[in-house]
Amino acid sequence: MKSLIMIIIAGALINNVVLNQFLGICSFLGVSKQMKASISLGGAVIFVITIASAVASLLYDFVLKPLGMDFMKTIIFILVIAALVQIVEMFLKKKSPAVYKSLGIYLPLITTNCAVLGVALTNVQEGYNFAQCVASGFGTAVGYTIAIVLLAGIRSRINEKDLPAPLRGAPIVMIAAALMSIAFMGFGGLQL
Amino acid sequence: MKKYVERLWNGLIKENPVLVLMLGMCPALAVSTQAANGIGMGLSTLAVLVLSNLVISLLRKVIPDQVRLPAYIVIVASLVTVTELLIKAYLPDLYKNLGIYIPLIVVNCIILGRAEAYANKHTPLLSVMDGIGMGLGFTVALTLAGALRELLGTGKIFGAQILPEGFGMTIFIQPPGAFLIFALIIAIMNAIGIKTRQRKLVESGCDGNCALCATASSCETKPAEKAAKAEKAEKAEIKAETKEAKPAEEGGAAK
Amino acid sequence: MNGVLNLSSSPHIRDRWTTPYIMRMVVLSLLPATVVGIIVHGWQAFGIIALAIVSAVAAEWVFDKVCHKPSTIWDGSAVVTGLLLALSLGPKTPLYIPVIGSVFAIVVCKGCFGGLGKNFINPALAARCFLLISFANAMTIKPSLDAVASATPVGALKAFEQVDITKMFLGTADGVIGSSILALLIGGLLLWSLDIIHGQICFSVLIGFTLLIGLFGGEGFNPRFLLAHLCGGGVVMGAFFMATDYVTSPVSRLGQFIYGCLIGVLGGVFRLWGNTADSFSYAIIIGNVCTPLIDTYIVQKPLAYRKIGKTRRVKREPFRIPKPVIALTIIAVIAGLALSGVFFVTKDTIEEQARLEAAAAYTSVIPGTKSLKNAEETADLLGNDGIDQGNAHINACYVGKDGDGKVLGYALSITVKGFGGNIIIALGLTPEGEVVDIAFTEISETAGLGMKAQEPEFKGQFPGKSGTLTLVKGAASADNEISAISGASVTSNAVTDAVNAGLEFFRTALKGGN
Repeated sequence: MKSLIMIIIAGALINNVVLNQFLGICSFLGVSKQMKASISLGGAVIFVITIASAVASLLYDFVLKPLGMDFMKTIIFILVIAALVQIVEMFLKKKSPAVYKSLGIYLPLITTNCAVLGVALTNVQEGYNFAQCVASGFGTAVGYTIAIVLLAGIRSRINEKDLPAPLRGAPIVMIAAALMSIAFMGFGGLQL
Repeated sequence: MKKYVERLWNGLIKENPVLVLMLGMCPALAVSTQAANGIGMGLSTLAVLVLSNLVISLLRKVIPDQVRLPAYIVIVASLVTVTELLIKAYLPDLYKNLGIYIPLIVVNCIILGRAEAYANKHTPLLSVMDGIGMGLGFTVALTLAGALRELLGTGKIFGAQILPEGFGMTIFIQPPGAFLIFALIIAIMNAIGIKTRQRKLVESGCDGNCALCATASSCETKPAEKAAKAEKAEKAEIKAETKEAKPAEEGGAAK
Repeated sequence: MNGVLNLSSSPHIRDRWTTPYIMRMVVLSLLPATVVGIIVHGWQAFGIIALAIVSAVAAEWVFDKVCHKPSTIWDGSAVVTGLLLALSLGPKTPLYIPVIGSVFAIVVCKGCFGGLGKNFINPALAARCFLLISFANAMTIKPSLDAVASATPVGALKAFEQVDITKMFLGTADGVIGSSILALLIGGLLLWSLDIIHGQICFSVLIGFTLLIGLFGGEGFNPRFLLAHLCGGGVVMGAFFMATDYVTSPVSRLGQFIYGCLIGVLGGVFRLWGNTADSFSYAIIIGNVCTPLIDTYIVQKPLAYRKIGKTRRVKREPFRIPKPVIALTIIAVIAGLALSGVFFVTKDTIEEQARLEAAAAYTSVIPGTKSLKNAEETADLLGNDGIDQGNAHINACYVGKDGDGKVLGYALSITVKGFGGNIIIALGLTPEGEVVDIAFTEISETAGLGMKAQEPEFKGQFPGKSGTLTLVKGAASADNEISAISGASVTSNAVTDAVNAGLEFFRTALKGGN
């Protein structure tokens, strides 16, 4: 149990998926403009990644590996992810149209979010069992949510008019991300 | 001929996928720790991009519209796995360096972005040129960032010691450094862009007030106008292409 | 707006105070610590302080000019940043470090965001962490006053050695320039009494930290122990002078309290279980990063802030399998077939590559090997998955023979958890159990730090060793000591653990056991 908690903390803070592994940057930079959208996206990502990790783990252990079809994992994983995102999309459309609207195009883009596929592939690489896969997926997604929400908070403080002209838009967000990344390096090597 | 070359220029500078369109950031930030990695990843992505643009452009009439995104993903995923297997077999050193990032070419926003924005609307040859242009732009951006990070982080470029031994700000080969270097490169490009626009404004004597300007219709400096004009030209081009492909169909009147 | 305090998003109504006034008070309160630092550590300390301040002011002047803004150097904030940064550096730090640090603090952390009041992160601390990551070696505090095993009191505390609290109080122990707790306390309490800093922040930081160390530090609430931890590692400096910065701390009282506790607790966690050179700085800047979030949610909502909306029922559509799904399935099947084709073509080459690579690693650690086979003695013990040994995992054991069939040695494949993932080493042992050499089959540690394990400086220590090895910081004095890579203790520990595991395995399984 303790090692599972360690996996979650490692995924969320020590090896933060966005600030350390550079997965999920596109939506990280795009959605963090608004706090509400960031929280919603974070929630959706947690759902998708945790379940995708679970399903991918099962598929890999019981179908792909025994049949020696390791090379098919990329395709299979991404189809699983695409299906899950579709389900989330349909669910949100019916249950909470406001959230669906605020996420806009970023919801289907979870399919192409490197973080989701990246986690599934890393799980395979590390040889995690089912529980570890789920923990790893969950931890990673929580880390993503933390990062995007924190950045959204920071961005809400930034007034474009105060900035030197060349830095407006993408560069200042990258600098903010750089400073966040420096801060998160404080978790490096943490061994509870 | 000119429009093919224009695709190259577009992908390299004007609409550089990483620095202008902000696509493909994930691999860009992650892999650019050394100049050599930049070239490796860039060229691998170029290969996949060209092939994917080609295949998708060829199939653009066949793939149903509702599932085009998943269909693209499957096609790209297959191409990437093929590339991965080939690199693993014949270029093992490159594989060691790029590791997990090769399968991530699948979700590289550039490939899907270009498939959606260009390849499914244009002819195969143009799509291939677009792929080459974008791929080159990606490679150049990655190699530049990689060189800067390697230089500041270890004092070397491509493994050759440029700065004195012992010099090294390790932060630049780590995540914060990646963000900082890219922020710097994009900021410089922005600054150049601003200066160029200002210079053009001054040279043409324009004061920004289109309503009172006699030459507003043929104005080159106003970006909004220019974008609208470019869009019109592109629509006309697509219409011309479809007219070529289906001579029996009637074309609508250009608006 | 001449000299009026200019803060973002805060409803302060303290317009009788000006920024220069506050900055002057802060400098005044830092004066005791500065003076003590210079007296104790000498002219080097003075040089660092002067350079840091001058660089900060110069950087701000240049940046303002480049951005065509009126010069803001007279508000004194650059001076404070430079001074704070200098006080957090060691006395023997090379002089280029305060310069680079000040420039980074003023230009990147402050200037890029729009200047005073617009930054979200404490410039001095962010610069310090930037320097720690960039110049890990140069930033390590070297002993100059006490000739003890651990250079700093915090290092000693972590190794459960005794520390001299009086020395830390007066500032005569090894450490950064501004480490005199007494002097810092005088300044800090002055600021608090002037109401320039908020008690909620500094005291909740200290309390949070103390609670965590007390609960989890291993010695309960032993006052001496707690005091020792509080006096070291920039806790007091951070609590009074860094965490309390207006711009980067929350606005509301409750928010400040939460922020302070967060920093204190995180600082404690990092101090006890973390592996970075400085735990508290990171804790504070993480607090800074959370401040905007705290401010967003811990705010008094205006009256009648409620959105009233009606939810409409959406009409259900009948469910059909869409035709496009069939097309998608066909595409997927074709893709799968194509992939299988390529896979079978390249399968053998890939497997061959992997075998050759592993073989190369093993033969390199037993020079002269002509034949490499799985060692029969341990084949049953290891099976297919290997066994755990100590902190590592023994994957396989091979015996290397020369052309005549004589046993040259054994090659073990050992996996151990490193900083950035698994490290797999190939360990070559003589038939008597002495290390021949080690090679890395898989390593993905931090470039410039952990990856240095592959360099002869570290790797070359292992050949010839036997018995049980211990890792030491600094130079190795005994035969069974290995000098760690500075700044990469996790990696160094991992590799040493792996080698120890291999040696232990040899003793039990190969030589003795069967």
